[in-house]
Amino acid sequence: MSDSPAIEVRDLVRVFESRKGFLFNEVNRTQALKGVDLTVEPGEIFGLLGPNGAGKTTLVKILSTLLLPTSGTARVLGHDVARDADWLRPRIGLVLGGERGVYTRISGRENLRYFADLYGVPPGEREPRIQAVLERVDLASAADRRVEEYSRGMKQKLHIARGILHRPSILFLDEPTIGLDPKSARETRKLVRSLEGDGVTILLTTHYMFEAEELCPRLAVLSKGRIVANDTVDALRHRVGGDRTIEVEAYGFEDREHAALRALPGVSKVASEEFGPRVRLTLRIRTLETTPAHVAALLPGHPELSVRERRTSLEDVYLDLVEEEAT
Amino acid sequence: MTMATVVGVRRTRVTAASLRLAFLQFIADPQWLVPSMIAPVIFGLVSYELFRGAGPYFLTYAILGAGMMSMWGQTLYGSGWATGQDREFGTLEPTIQAPAPYLYVVLGRIVWNVVAGLFGGLIVYVVVVVAAGGPPALPNPLAFVLLFLFVMVTLACVGIVFAAAYVYTRFAGFIQNIGEFAFYVGTGCMFPVVLLPFWTNPIALLFPPTWALDALRYVSIPGYVGFGWGWGWDLVGAVATTAIYAGIAGTVFHRVERHVLEVGDLSDY
Repeated sequence: MSDSPAIEVRDLVRVFESRKGFLFNEVNRTQALKGVDLTVEPGEIFGLLGPNGAGKTTLVKILSTLLLPTSGTARVLGHDVARDADWLRPRIGLVLGGERGVYTRISGRENLRYFADLYGVPPGEREPRIQAVLERVDLASAADRRVEEYSRGMKQKLHIARGILHRPSILFLDEPTIGLDPKSARETRKLVRSLEGDGVTILLTTHYMFEAEELCPRLAVLSKGRIVANDTVDALRHRVGGDRTIEVEAYGFEDREHAALRALPGVSKVASEEFGPRVRLTLRIRTLETTPAHVAALLPGHPELSVRERRTSLEDVYLDLVEEEAT
Repeated sequence: MTMATVVGVRRTRVTAASLRLAFLQFIADPQWLVPSMIAPVIFGLVSYELFRGAGPYFLTYAILGAGMMSMWGQTLYGSGWATGQDREFGTLEPTIQAPAPYLYVVLGRIVWNVVAGLFGGLIVYVVVVVAAGGPPALPNPLAFVLLFLFVMVTLACVGIVFAAAYVYTRFAGFIQNIGEFAFYVGTGCMFPVVLLPFWTNPIALLFPPTWALDALRYVSIPGYVGFGWGWGWDLVGAVATTAIYAGIAGTVFHRVERHVLEVGDLSDY
């Protein structure tokens, strides 16, 4: 493979049109992607985060040749997704997941046989390879049962098995653990990590911050069709105001107390949130000078005052970025 | 192996895989037994009772009408419907995303449907022959068999175009249901088209099965008049319209695949 990025997206725009009315003459246009730029290097697991409707699945479908862009360019493995779909398709694995997308009245093994033939897996390798992927996703014991008898997690495993059956160079995983119980989700993450060892480039979309943090050294946040951040998790922490967070809870705070907290050294942001009678102030801190003790010292006389420090989580970063974009 | 051979093998394999899947889906879902096997037998027996005593070839009429119902249902309707099911199950996206031309996936389904349709036709034949106490009089059995198979080819060609409609839009099922019996009657599956009002004839002639069925009746039923231009011209018309449909199918599929990638509604149903 060349040194070109595994994925290279430039100024990508996608507009959906829907028609309504008796004569379908009423056209609604929705811009799902508004000039997306993105680069993913070969062999990395790259995370794509974003709220519902942000455009994650649209981007994945364009990159996996299932959707054409309205404008801009998208290259996968150095090839244009719109022009070179025939070259790309055997090299791409796509896992859209969910209850749909598999033939439920036949067995998991028959599903894989069908797609092995469509993907041109060498006939002599088909059966051993199917068995190998079934074992890899821990589905071998249920392989000959009808898919309609599978649990949600088992169907998800079958989706993944199909996605890796033809040994793709690049794998798109669209929310692979959504709706799974914690054990199945953990097994799926373990499987994804093992694929990294095979040298497969993975683009993973997810709603779960801990999942992205655990699996993806680099990630991008997509909000309302735009990439609002694209970096390592640590760099994103720094961008939203520091990797230290101090949370203060009490039955309300006065304005002068807010101001005093904002004036502490290294404090980049103070966010306020009410829950019931209590108020929580979240301080994002860039330096080591300000400690929970300093904060508590500025808030005397509060009954049941709670002050605790934690590392800024990816969820904090994500919410800050999405909020920033919204405002 | 040359590149062309590799592509040929791949297409054959895709067609075979699709045929196998269609078979597995068929045996897993007994609902298809009703339109493809049970209903034609009932229609065949009803036709037999209606045409009884109407001449030496009444039995051929009964078998052809009911047999064609099975063929028609399987070959034409079943193939498009399977694509509609792909939409419903969400399997259309992964199938289109796979590096296999969807046309050959549809072709595999049609081959299976032809086999199932022939089986249905055979059941009709056996049941009606048993009811009548003997086989129908066939002046030219070889021509009958060849034309019968050719009718299947014409139905398959129309089936491919119908399947393309199912890829194109999720409303194809609605459109096909509207036209289902109009097409069945209009192409002469149940009884000769010339029995219909004259204005329907030009429309019927746009479809290859109309020509092929007329030719089939010419060789099966001595004295049959049909459109009046003889089975030879029927055959020419059938070959020409079939070629046009095959050409349309190839072009349409390519464009339809492009269109759905532009519209992005493959997962809608």
